[in-house]
Amino acid sequence: MAAKKLYETFSKSLIEEVQKWGSMKQTGVSLRYMLEFGSRFTERNLILAAQFLHKELPIRIARRAIELQSLPYGLSEKPAILKVRDWYLDSFRDLRAFPDIKDKNDEQDFTKMINLIKVRHNNVVPTMALGVQQLKKDLDPKLTYMDLDDIHQFLDRFYMSRIGIRMLIGQHVAMHEPNPLPDQIGYIHTKMSPVEVARHASEDARSVCLREYGSAPEVTVYGDPDFTFPYVPNHLHLMVFELVKNSLRAVEERFMDSDKLAPPIRIIVADGLEDVTIKVSDEGGGIPRSGLPRIFTYLYSTAKNPLDERADLGTADIATMAGYGFGLPISRLYARYFGGDLQIISMEGYGMFDTT
Amino acid sequence: MATKKACERFIEEVHKYGDMKQTGVSLRYMLEFGSVPSDRNMIIAAQFLHKELPIRIARRAVELDSLPFGLSNKPAVLKVRDWYLDSFRDLRSFPEIKDINDEKEFTQMIKMIKVRHNNVVPAMALGVQQLKKSLDPKLDYEDFDEVHQFLDRFYMSRIGIRMLIGQHVEVHDPNPPPNRIGYIHTKLSPTQVAKDASEDARYVCLREYGSAPEINIYGDPSFTFAYMPTHLHMMVFELVKNSLRAVQERYMDSDKVAPPIRIVVADGEEDVTIKVSDEGGGIPRSGLPKIFTYLYSTADNPINERLDDGAGADVVTMAGYGYGLPISRLYARYFGGDLQIISMEGYGTDAYLHLSRLGDSQEPLP
Repeated sequence: MAAKKLYETFSKSLIEEVQKWGSMKQTGVSLRYMLEFGSRFTERNLILAAQFLHKELPIRIARRAIELQSLPYGLSEKPAILKVRDWYLDSFRDLRAFPDIKDKNDEQDFTKMINLIKVRHNNVVPTMALGVQQLKKDLDPKLTYMDLDDIHQFLDRFYMSRIGIRMLIGQHVAMHEPNPLPDQIGYIHTKMSPVEVARHASEDARSVCLREYGSAPEVTVYGDPDFTFPYVPNHLHLMVFELVKNSLRAVEERFMDSDKLAPPIRIIVADGLEDVTIKVSDEGGGIPRSGLPRIFTYLYSTAKNPLDERADLGTADIATMAGYGFGLPISRLYARYFGGDLQIISMEGYGMFDTT
Repeated sequence: MATKKACERFIEEVHKYGDMKQTGVSLRYMLEFGSVPSDRNMIIAAQFLHKELPIRIARRAVELDSLPFGLSNKPAVLKVRDWYLDSFRDLRSFPEIKDINDEKEFTQMIKMIKVRHNNVVPAMALGVQQLKKSLDPKLDYEDFDEVHQFLDRFYMSRIGIRMLIGQHVEVHDPNPPPNRIGYIHTKLSPTQVAKDASEDARYVCLREYGSAPEINIYGDPSFTFAYMPTHLHMMVFELVKNSLRAVQERYMDSDKVAPPIRIVVADGEEDVTIKVSDEGGGIPRSGLPKIFTYLYSTADNPINERLDDGAGADVVTMAGYGYGLPISRLYARYFGGDLQIISMEGYGTDAYLHLSRLGDSQEPLP
């Protein structure tokens, strides 16, 4: 069981170090830099990269560990949160205890270590979600999502940081891959086709819908299949999957008991100079304008809660149609991570009428 | 000097009224009140306006005098400020309203005030142009944030004042058309308005380009709700006009058939939403904030210096003032709705017009 107070398990000097590193300035890395660096594949580059991570990762991890200790409403004391905090402290300690990286062997050992760190943190999202659930139970039910704004902002920062840390570690580990796929630099696919990713994500979402409802509306993708650009296919898949899942659920629930044929979900992929834009449209009845701010919060879901207290299961991979209430806000973070965005606009009542 | 003292007293009065609290009126209230146009109700309404209008007008007059970047001293802005001061004076010098005859005269007077202010928008636009010319061209729209915020407040207030005056005047009509309470149509069909506005916009496009893309409208034609037909027409017209222009310019020199503009009307419980979608190539994300500013337009500027010919306010062009979108959004927000533009660069743009059905929202009173 995780100890409530830091000093019960961790030494004073570690606590001081965490504070010190948590106040140091973070250094960002752009997608372009990752691409350029990753395509110049030399031992020297790998060592430089490892040395950078050896300095940068503890800063980012310490910062989050400190924040985890000082959350409002007593969130920091919830068992699930303490668990996550301990993961962050253990990882910080591993990084700080690792000696200077001087040669190829050091670099390979370092890479193994950060990979283990990544695995240690695999279940952070469901665990944090559980902690938030534990908090909700304790709180005055009259408090609305708006009162918990501090927590939302913290979770936004926290998860955004996690995306970055995992991206850096993942890219570094992937560069060691002896047989990399063509056009792939770590997680980044230099010629990713958004139309193709959208098609795959839609198929995956449809099979989840089929499993849960017994039927699934059609999804049509419009766009140039030959158009490609460099991006992280995993991220895009996750986001499109999330959006299509929501659309499918809305349409399914609206048309389930009706004679009418469920209108298809339409996906449009547009390539512009500044942005690639993907629009996922449905006629599932819409969301009233008053309900829109809530959909990006971490404590809101229109579905029953699928979480239970078994946080050690590798349940992070089981996809359900709904319930965590984390899908949309986290998708938006992924979009924003590389300078993009996710916007939802709704037309309440749009779903069943005839053309004029 | 007597006139100097009187002048000072007048200015003090303007400031005094400019500080007083404004009172908002909801759409629902306008409907309920206006549906019983008895003499007594008319007198009560007139007495309310007699108190409320000078407050709103004085507030704007004071602001017009204290704009940043020297905007207050531009000739066009001084003209507008004088209109506001004249109207304030007319209201303050009108005696107490005691009977139905007083009320009729008061109504005449506020009608004249409304006419006096007919050309405020082009006049202010001219003033802003005058300002732009005299400023450092390196300053971009972001630096003018104060001016934008002022104009938003100013025009929102103007919408409210004209709404109150207009409603009061219209309710006097002895033979109103059916389903009307002043300017409000109690059974307005948004799909019908969308059709009319689209045709008007296509006509302007045809005149200017020689051709116009098709427009398809989707929605329940029998659905109606209470709203202002003029406001709605203006907003839809504006959005369709922009879409037509974008599509036309994109496909003008191409063999392909221009894709139609799609308008979808959805009726929800809280809102009626009208979406205007086009495939006109879209706006890059970095360009989006600009489209709601008052100093930006991608077209040549049609304003010239002829302010007094009264024709300026009515001549419709495809583009150029840079005022259409921000003012449409103010109209939407006036009754608790909104206007949002989302674009897909390389594809097209969707404009979402949300109209609040609840009718309980108070006027915004900046």
